[in-house]
Amino acid sequence: MLQQTTATLLLIGFPNVGKSTFFNLLTGGNRKVSNYSGVTVDMGKADIKSEKDGDIRLKLVDLPGIYNLVPSSLDEGVSVKALLNLEGKDGAQKVLLLLDWQRIEASMSLALAVKDIVGAENIAIVINKDDLGEIDSTRRVELEKKLGCRVLPLSALNASPKTVEAFIRGLDLSSQIEPVKKLQITKEALEFLPAGDHSDKIEVMNDTKQITDLINWYHSKARDVLGSLSQPNDAKAILTQKIDRVVLNPWLGGIIFAAIFYFIFDAIYSWAGPAMDLCETVVVGLGEFIGNYLPEGHFKSLIVDGIFGGVGGIVVFLPQIMALFFLFSLLEQSGYIARAAVVTDRIMGAFGLNGKAFLPYMSGFACAIPGIMATRTIPNPRERYATLMTLPLITCSARLPVYILLIGTFVPDKTVFGIFNAQTLSFFFLYFLGSFAALIIAKVLRLSYFKGETGNFIIDLPLYQRPSLKTAFNQAWKKGKAFLTKAGTIILGLSIIIWLLSTFPKPTPELLEGKTEAQQASIALEQSMLGTMGRTIEPVIKPLGMDWKIGVGMLVAFGARELFVSAMGTIYSLGDVDEESSTLREKLVAETWPETGKPVFTLATAWAILIFFVFSLQCTSTLAILKRETGNWKIPMIMFTYMGLLAYGGAYIAYNLLS
Amino acid sequence: MTLNEIKVGDTVLLADFSESQPVYFKLISLGLLPGDPVIVMGRAPFGGPISIKHGSETFFALRRSEARQIHVKNKDAKI
Repeated sequence: MLQQTTATLLLIGFPNVGKSTFFNLLTGGNRKVSNYSGVTVDMGKADIKSEKDGDIRLKLVDLPGIYNLVPSSLDEGVSVKALLNLEGKDGAQKVLLLLDWQRIEASMSLALAVKDIVGAENIAIVINKDDLGEIDSTRRVELEKKLGCRVLPLSALNASPKTVEAFIRGLDLSSQIEPVKKLQITKEALEFLPAGDHSDKIEVMNDTKQITDLINWYHSKARDVLGSLSQPNDAKAILTQKIDRVVLNPWLGGIIFAAIFYFIFDAIYSWAGPAMDLCETVVVGLGEFIGNYLPEGHFKSLIVDGIFGGVGGIVVFLPQIMALFFLFSLLEQSGYIARAAVVTDRIMGAFGLNGKAFLPYMSGFACAIPGIMATRTIPNPRERYATLMTLPLITCSARLPVYILLIGTFVPDKTVFGIFNAQTLSFFFLYFLGSFAALIIAKVLRLSYFKGETGNFIIDLPLYQRPSLKTAFNQAWKKGKAFLTKAGTIILGLSIIIWLLSTFPKPTPELLEGKTEAQQASIALEQSMLGTMGRTIEPVIKPLGMDWKIGVGMLVAFGARELFVSAMGTIYSLGDVDEESSTLREKLVAETWPETGKPVFTLATAWAILIFFVFSLQCTSTLAILKRETGNWKIPMIMFTYMGLLAYGGAYIAYNLLS
Repeated sequence: MTLNEIKVGDTVLLADFSESQPVYFKLISLGLLPGDPVIVMGRAPFGGPISIKHGSETFFALRRSEARQIHVKNKDAKI
């Protein structure tokens, strides 16, 4: 017989018990951790690094949270499918059930249900959030006796990975889990368990009451098991109650919600400003410094205009990107997000959406991709599609550089309506416009193609906890690193391509005869490959007040939105011969129409570009993920079209209103 | 008496809430069983959701249309 080399462990538990925190603790992984349910919607696998030779390899599988074994949404289906090994691949050797000491009764019922299906010998229990060490060894042994499996109490935030690993290695991991009993589910649950109806591991019950009775029974049984065990310390619950009295107050709730979000956007915009100026000074200084040592010619142009102009133009936004993720992480860890879903539910409901749609939309502020994935938690498919199809309208972090660049350059920095800064307000308005459009379109979809009843909205409100600055910083750091990596790879590559396309072919000498240096540079740009392309599309974008250079930027941005900024950086660096304007902002201001000599970038043009970016779906990764989540290209193409039309129409209106 | 009629701060006992299967299913999943006491913690304005506390640690919120399907009793009533 072959020596066993690996053992797989499934991590199963209620939503928000800390499965991902536990997973990260053991694997050094970087799964996203937040204090609300439904953050993990897919399976995450990683090895536990062993220090000793000869140890078998441990594979840990992080799964979405479930309340019971009857799935009521797609993410829950992922967990049940893994538990039953419905795909029939390499099965797991053990189920690690993660329970929440703060909600021990409810989460214990799931442990009992799993125990019934796979047998006590195939499970082990980890009780998380025992921050005060309330489960002593006497209690632990008592629980182990009652449950017939090993129990490990811990606090995943400060537990030692070694202790946990030793606990896991102490379990019998030699045999693969085989269900000992059929899992009974409702007909409705089958929808979330693809291929489940052919499996002999599942029994579909016609009478839903049998299923609910069973769940009910597990909860009563959980109370029996825990009967003698005293209740956890409820200091956190009391604090939660106090905070909620204010945060969910009928009158204060909405004000607090708006204030928190205004504060976040203000912080991103104004606090990160000085850091951005510093970055800009460094990038520009470095570019000039290197430029001085290079001989005139193509190579210097490639470095200074292509790379420093393009990549440098985008990396200066690093402080804003990091600030956004830092603040969002603090907010997500605190437990407020679920309350925000309650506060906004009335509005969501008015637009035909489930209050749960708030959570994916919220993720969409960072990036549409996790947001689209998070729509899996919305049980009703019609509501899910209405949410998914409007999600890319939410302002993601890739739009940030474009917004900041244009607002910072063209919206005057003055106070309006007494207390608001015009720039911050414009910034907030763009975020608002995207979100509002998302709701309107969702309503349209819910009244037409995705017509139907609103599903139920019952949302778990987690206990508040003090956000960890370390976690927030890690999150910001991780995203900052990803941003720089992108700048150093994709954006760098693209900047070089744009430089090549805008430098070659060279204009014929006759064209340049008797022209000033500035005119020559502009002719060279126009005669280049990029110039020819730009000239071709110029008639389409001229009604929006844009010249061909902006048009090229827009076109490039269909790959990813940030590329607009880097493309502008390269193009304007090439056209700028007097070298008087060093930053991209100064170059934009200095740009004029060749025919009239008037500035290209007026407030109207700037707003037309901004509005275009609010609406249009310029992200290839989003299109790819949409295809994966919806099964074919139909939905992504519909979205691409409707968002494109909105973008063009919106930009046209904005330009004509303001000019 | 149904849950949506209860004033903020009042404690009531869950009576029969199996009228709507989806709501019943979701609530028992959270660990709410008939006979359990619940406290109404807050009501969002303009007919928004009602927030509830169950036991010592479970907090959740639900829409009024769902609360309407949950029958409750005074806490001193016999079950």
